[in-house]
Amino acid sequence: MSINRTIAPALHPIGKPDLVRPEKHVLKNGIPVYALKAGKQEVCKIDFVFNAGVWYQPKQLLASLTNAMLQEGTAKYTAAEIAELFDFHGAYLQCTADYHYATISVITLDKHIGKLLPVVEDMLKASVFPEKEFNNLLNRRKQRFMLEMEKVKILCQKKFSQVLFGEGHPYALGLKAEDFENVCLDDFVDFYNTHYHAQNCELHLAGQFTDKVIQQLDHHFGGDDWNGTPVETPQFHAQPQTNKRERVHKEGAIQSAIRLGKLLVDKQHPDYFGLQILVTILGGYFSSRLMLNIREDKGYTYGIGANFINLNREGYLLIATEVDKSYEEATLKEITFEIERLQNEPVPQDELERVRQYLTGEFLRDFDGAFALGQAFRNLHDFGLDYSFYDNYHQAILSITAEQLQQLAKQYLQTDSLYTVVAGQ
Amino acid sequence: MIEFSRHRLENGLDIILYPDYSTPMVAMDICYHVGAKHENPHRTGFAHLFEHLMFGGTKNIPDYDIPLQLAGGENNAYTTNDLTNYYLTVPKDNLETAFWLESDRMLELDFSEKSLNVQKNVVIEEFKQRNLNQPYGDVWALLRELAYTKHPYRWTTIGKEISHIADASLQEVKDFFYRFYAPNNAALVLSGNIDKDRCLQLADKWFGSIPKRDVRQTDLPVEPEQTEFRELTVTRKVPDTALYLAFRMSDRRSREYYVCDLISDVLSSGNSSRLYRKLVQEEQLFTELDAYISGDHDPGLFVVSGKLNKGVSIDVAQKAVWIELNKTKQDPVDSRELEKVKNKLEANHVYAQMGYLNMAQELATYENIDRAEMMNDQLDWYRSITAEEIRETAQKIFRKENCSQLNYMAQ
Repeated sequence: MSINRTIAPALHPIGKPDLVRPEKHVLKNGIPVYALKAGKQEVCKIDFVFNAGVWYQPKQLLASLTNAMLQEGTAKYTAAEIAELFDFHGAYLQCTADYHYATISVITLDKHIGKLLPVVEDMLKASVFPEKEFNNLLNRRKQRFMLEMEKVKILCQKKFSQVLFGEGHPYALGLKAEDFENVCLDDFVDFYNTHYHAQNCELHLAGQFTDKVIQQLDHHFGGDDWNGTPVETPQFHAQPQTNKRERVHKEGAIQSAIRLGKLLVDKQHPDYFGLQILVTILGGYFSSRLMLNIREDKGYTYGIGANFINLNREGYLLIATEVDKSYEEATLKEITFEIERLQNEPVPQDELERVRQYLTGEFLRDFDGAFALGQAFRNLHDFGLDYSFYDNYHQAILSITAEQLQQLAKQYLQTDSLYTVVAGQ
Repeated sequence: MIEFSRHRLENGLDIILYPDYSTPMVAMDICYHVGAKHENPHRTGFAHLFEHLMFGGTKNIPDYDIPLQLAGGENNAYTTNDLTNYYLTVPKDNLETAFWLESDRMLELDFSEKSLNVQKNVVIEEFKQRNLNQPYGDVWALLRELAYTKHPYRWTTIGKEISHIADASLQEVKDFFYRFYAPNNAALVLSGNIDKDRCLQLADKWFGSIPKRDVRQTDLPVEPEQTEFRELTVTRKVPDTALYLAFRMSDRRSREYYVCDLISDVLSSGNSSRLYRKLVQEEQLFTELDAYISGDHDPGLFVVSGKLNKGVSIDVAQKAVWIELNKTKQDPVDSRELEKVKNKLEANHVYAQMGYLNMAQELATYENIDRAEMMNDQLDWYRSITAEEIRETAQKIFRKENCSQLNYMAQ
C-alpha cells in the first residue's frame, strides 16, 4: 500500500507535565530541606545552598574561590582524601558560586550517601584553607581567566554586562587580571566564617532517596555547632550607561561577537509571560526570525539567539551571535529589521500556532527527570513564586494574541532603547 | 541490565526499542553509518556539511523544522569521524510526525542550490567560530595530521580547510546521499514512552517502502604501525604553552580499548587521579592535565594533554608525564585504585540511564560500533580487567616510538 507522504499525520494536543513537588522538612536547627522524590534510578543530588554568591562579596573572587577552597582540605580530611572518597564511590562533588548562591552539590548513588555526608559536614564546618592549595588554585584560575579574555564572546559579554548594569553592580562582570594579585587569604577565611553557617543555609534534594536521608542530614547538619549571624542582603540597583553603542577591540579576531539587549521586567510582572513568548519568536528556537533570516537565509553565522534572561533581581533581553567581521554591519541591520517587523506587523497566525506548540513541548521537556524538576522548583522558590506561576505561563502560551505581542514589541523593544556591544578586530 | 528489543525491516533498517515510562516524551534517533572517515581526502568536512543539508527539506515536505515544532518537537544532529546521528524528542502522542519526517528525508532530499550555498556559508562560519577564532582551536587538526599518515582519521570532522567546503558541488551532494543514506546503512532507535507494537507498525508504514540501496562500504586505508617518535612544535597567540602526547591504540571493539580506558581513568579521572594529584597539585608543573582515549571506532589515540604552569619548559613537563606513564608500565595498579575506577564506571552507567534521550544516543552509538547489545556487556568487560593486564597494555602503548608529541608554544 502506498502512502501519501505530502500529508502530515494528525496532531494531538500536547499534555501538561506532571509537576512533582518537593516535600519540606526542617532540621533541628531550623535549616529547611526541600526533598523532591522522582525518577527511576537510585541516584540522588543534594545541594547545600548558601547566600554567598557574587552579590555578597565585598571584593572580586571572594565568592568563587571561597567556595572552591572547601574541597581543598578540612580539619579531618586533606584535599586528596576528599577527592579519593568521592571518586571511590563513583560520586561527584561540585562546588559552584553564581550571582546569588554558593552551592556544594553531591551527586551519588543513594546507597553511598551515608559515607559522603561526614566529609561534606567537615567541609562546611571546618575547612582549613591551606595556603599552598590556595595559591595553586588562584594561579590556575588566573590562567583560565587569561584564556577566557582571548575570546571575543567573553570580551563582548563582559562589556555588555557593564553597560547594562553599571560598573560595580554584582551582575556586571568586572573581574580584572590585577584582581588576582591583591588577594589576602584571611579575606577568604572571613568570608567562609560569615557566610557558611546554619543560619545562611538551605538544602535541596532531588532524585531517589530513602526517608532515612532526612535523619542523616539532621545528624550531620542539624546541630547548633555551626551557628552564625544571618547574612544581610546588600542593595544594588542597575544603572545602565547612557551611551548605547560600544566597541571592544580584539586584535586579530576573525569573527566579531555581537550582543544586543536591555533591561526588561522581573518574573512577577504581568508582561513577563508575553515577553518570554515574544523573545522566543524573535530568537528563542531553531525557526525563530533571527535564525531564519540571518543563518538560514543569509548564512552570516553558525548561530544567533535571543533570550529573556531572569536573574533574581533583574530580567533582561540578550541577543547574541558571532559573525565574520565583514558581516557585522549587515547582521546588525537585519537584527533591527526583525525587531521592527515585530512592532509593525502582527505575528501571522500560523507562526503563532507553531510557537505555541513548540513552547508547550518545551514545557514537557523542561520538567522531565528528577534533576530538572528540582531546578523547576528552584526557579520558583528563589524568586518567591509558587507553582501557579507555571499554570499561568502555560495558560499564556495557549491564549496570547498577535495583537498583544505586537503591543509588547512596541512597548519594550524600541530599537533606540537597545544597547549594542561588538567585540572584534 | 538495560532492557530493549531489536527488530529489522525487510529493507535492512535496524530498529532498537527502549521503553522508559518515567517520561511523557519519546526520543527518536537515526544513526547513519557514515562519518568523516568515509570522505574523499579532497572533500574533507563533507559528511558534516551534508548533515546540515539534511534539514533543507524534501520534495514532499519542504520544511523539516516547522511540522516538528507544530508537534511540540525539538531536534538536532551531530557528525563524528565514524557516524552521523540525527535525534529528536516529541511528546508521545505526536510520535507519528517524527516517523513521517525522518522517513521522508531518508527516502529523498530536495537537493537545492540555494540550500547548499547557504549551508556552506553557515558551516564556514562554524569553522571560524570553533577552530580559527578560538584559542587552541587548531590543536586536533595538528594532532591528527601528526598521528595519522594514511587513515582518514588524519582530518577532523569539520574538515581540513575551508576550500573543501566552499568547493562542494550539488552533484557531489546527491552522490553522497545515494551512496550512504539508506535504510540498510542506518539504525532507528526509539526510547521513552513507547508502545512496541505501535512503533513497529509505524516503522513499517513509513520506513518499510524505502528501497534498499547499493551501499558500498569500501575498506578504509589501514594506518601502518608507527615506528618512530614524531614531534611537532608550533607557536600561537595563546596565553599558555600546552603539551599533547598522542599514543596509537587499538580499535573500539578490542579488549585493549577497555584496558586503555581504565588506564586513562587511573591517570586522570577525578581529583584523586594520579596526574592531577602529582603534577597539578603537588609539583605544580601543569595547571590542567588530562588523559583520555579518542573513542574512535577504528584504531584510535590515547592522549595526554596539559597546559603548562608559567616558567615550566616543555622538556621538564614531558619528562614528568613520562615518569607517571612509566609507573603504569612498572608497577601493577593497587587493588583499591582499580576498584575505584571500576566503581566510577559502574556509577556512570547508572547516571547515563537517567535520560531517555541520552539512552537513545548511546544505543545508537553502540549499534554503529557493532551492536547495541554491547552496552550491556560493558561493565563485565571492565570488571574482568586485572592489574597485570593494565601493566601489559601500558607497556605496549606507552613507548616513545608509538608517540606523537605536539608542543603548542605560547607566543
